Amino acid sequence: MNLYRQSIALFGIVLPVLACGVLVALCFVLKSKALESFDTKTRLFKTYETNRLAALEIESKIVLQRPHLEHWIALLAEEPSSSVNTQLRAIAEALPAKEFQKTAFERTNTKGGFGTVSAQPSSQLRIVFRGTFRTMQRAFLELESRLPQLQLQELRIDPNPNQQNPSPLLNFQVNYTAWEN
Amino acid sequence: MLGHTTRASNPAWYQTALELDLQLHIRVDGPSVTTFFFRHSKARWTTGPSITEADLRDPAKMEACAAEILKQARSLKAHALGIILHHADEFATAELKPALDNPAALPDLREAAVQKPAAILDDSSIPPEQNSWRVIPYPAQGSGVIGTTITLTRKYAPFLAALRQAGEDHNFPLITHALSAPLVAMMGLAQSAPFVAGKSAVAILEYPWFTALVFFNEHADLLLMRTLQHRHLRQAPNLRHALTTTLASLELTDPDLFVLSLGLDLDAGLHLDLTNGFPLSRVVTVKQATADDVPEWCPEPVIAATPPPKGEAARSLTFGILRSEKWALQDFLPTPKEIVEIYPTRSEMRLLRGLRLARMGLYAVVVIILAWFGLGIFDVVRRNEWAFDPNQANVIRTRLAKLTAERQKSEHWDNLLEDRSKAWTSMELLSRLFPERCGVLVKAFSHTVRPDSAPGQAKVGFVKEWKITGFARDEAVDRLNTLNTQEGISAQFTEVARATGNIAFNPAVRTRSLAVNVRTQENSGFKSQPLEETFDTDEASYPFNFDLTITQRFEATDPMAIHVTKAP
Repeated sequence: MNLYRQSIALFGIVLPVLACGVLVALCFVLKSKALESFDTKTRLFKTYETNRLAALEIESKIVLQRPHLEHWIALLAEEPSSSVNTQLRAIAEALPAKEFQKTAFERTNTKGGFGTVSAQPSSQLRIVFRGTFRTMQRAFLELESRLPQLQLQELRIDPNPNQQNPSPLLNFQVNYTAWEN
Repeated sequence: MLGHTTRASNPAWYQTALELDLQLHIRVDGPSVTTFFFRHSKARWTTGPSITEADLRDPAKMEACAAEILKQARSLKAHALGIILHHADEFATAELKPALDNPAALPDLREAAVQKPAAILDDSSIPPEQNSWRVIPYPAQGSGVIGTTITLTRKYAPFLAALRQAGEDHNFPLITHALSAPLVAMMGLAQSAPFVAGKSAVAILEYPWFTALVFFNEHADLLLMRTLQHRHLRQAPNLRHALTTTLASLELTDPDLFVLSLGLDLDAGLHLDLTNGFPLSRVVTVKQATADDVPEWCPEPVIAATPPPKGEAARSLTFGILRSEKWALQDFLPTPKEIVEIYPTRSEMRLLRGLRLARMGLYAVVVIILAWFGLGIFDVVRRNEWAFDPNQANVIRTRLAKLTAERQKSEHWDNLLEDRSKAWTSMELLSRLFPERCGVLVKAFSHTVRPDSAPGQAKVGFVKEWKITGFARDEAVDRLNTLNTQEGISAQFTEVARATGNIAFNPAVRTRSLAVNVRTQENSGFKSQPLEETFDTDEASYPFNFDLTITQRFEATDPMAIHVTKAP
């Protein structure tokens, strides 16, 4: 007599259970995908935050150096002998002419000094001066401050070899390694 | 189904009419139709609605009659109505097949009479679609057969069907039950007939259109039932003859005769006729107990609706089984099987209801799970990470790479342009080692810087060397000796570092080492002369000459060590 028992069971509980199961499974899949996406985003977000903080840190440091770096790059862009001579002329104008005399200037493209151990391009400058001690010190101070790419390789100071005619002027010979970009 | 019917909540749909609290008994005896309402819980009988024979037979009037019955039932605040139709206008018997004469087969015969009557009837010519049969057993010992069948026509089946349909339409249980009035009256004899032990008896049930003869043996068990049609007369014309011949065939001698007048205005002379015709028999007019508002001549509703008091011993086996096994209360016009099967059974409705609760529980669980999922997703979605655009990661990565490259470039040039060797600071060192008029005449000064040879390393150290030669007077010897110590030369370097700001001279850095060597000798060209006659540039006025060498080594781990790579 129970003609409808199977139908009732089918439509009353089996199909709803299946539908609910499908719904729950669907939601589970959706949530899993959402969590998977969230994990990916979290990973990217953490990387982003780490990189952002690192960028801020780097930027806070280099923001102060940037003008200097730009200045350096500008200096390095010039041909070394030309810039040295330009600066020496400018320095000479502010110094007594008798106490500061450039007597020789020589540039070689061969590597020497620091240039031998570094892959950075460089050239060698050899300059000879005659002058008084303090004036030459001031001149070197100016030159080396204006052109920081000059790395001193050698400095020789000798008095005037003529004993019969003593002079306050000294002979200065400097060798520089000039970094190039 | 649950929403459209009350079958799940109202058990009356699955009860019999005689089990319901409110019952409508309709007794049809031919000349009249009598109706009564019976409230079971209050044991109260009241007059029912006015129903005519035409209402029962005319399809056009059935619907209105059903509506009226439904209206009255609702006015009595009932949730269901049992409608019991007592057939008192016809009564016929049909013999069972002799081959089925087995008392143990009675339950199967009872079922077969409903489902397949032609299989058990001796006379197979009666059309089953127009009649209904029910088996009645003959429990008495000595009866020739195990029972007989009572036959009723289906003329009231449409009326009962209309009532059931009205109940379905109005979602109100109208449960029908068709009884044979003589069977019910016979069952009532247990309480009303004065049976005498050891004396057989015959009950003569006189109805307007027929007379039923019921024969009992000396143990009050049923032997035989016969029916005599009146054929438009007031009583059966052959009653005495039929009674006499049947008594003879059953070998009953002078049985008690119980006369029951079960109709209005019946022939009152029957008792006298029987007394005259059967002088040796005790003739008793039996009055069956009824209730208020129910006349004595129609006791069947009260007998059917009111079971005898509990504990009352059955007068005989016949009367016991007639009520306990409901042989006398068989439904002659039940709901057709094809109609019954339209609706779920009670167990199915319970299952349906139970499953609805289970579904609600299931839905609640699913809702909770979905809410859990939703909250989980909401919790994820509202975070900053969820709104994060993955492209930003690439943007910031590119920016970081650019900044890193810029920093590396800056660090590279910062390293290469470090103040590791300057001419002016070396001159400052010289002037501080030997200030004016310290008794020293410097003849030559040289300073060289050379990198270490360390191939394969990222940074390379270097060595700075100062060589100073000259002449010294006596007062300068102590100075030279002081410079020739680690503390002395370190103090000079520290002072130069402080004065010039050039940290290359700082000797405190652990990755640097500082060495000094002073060699002092007598000046072979020295000429002793008064001090006031000497001048500073006169080498002969200096008793000593000296040779000073200072070596400063910067290791590869020193901050000023040189990067060997090219600018990025």
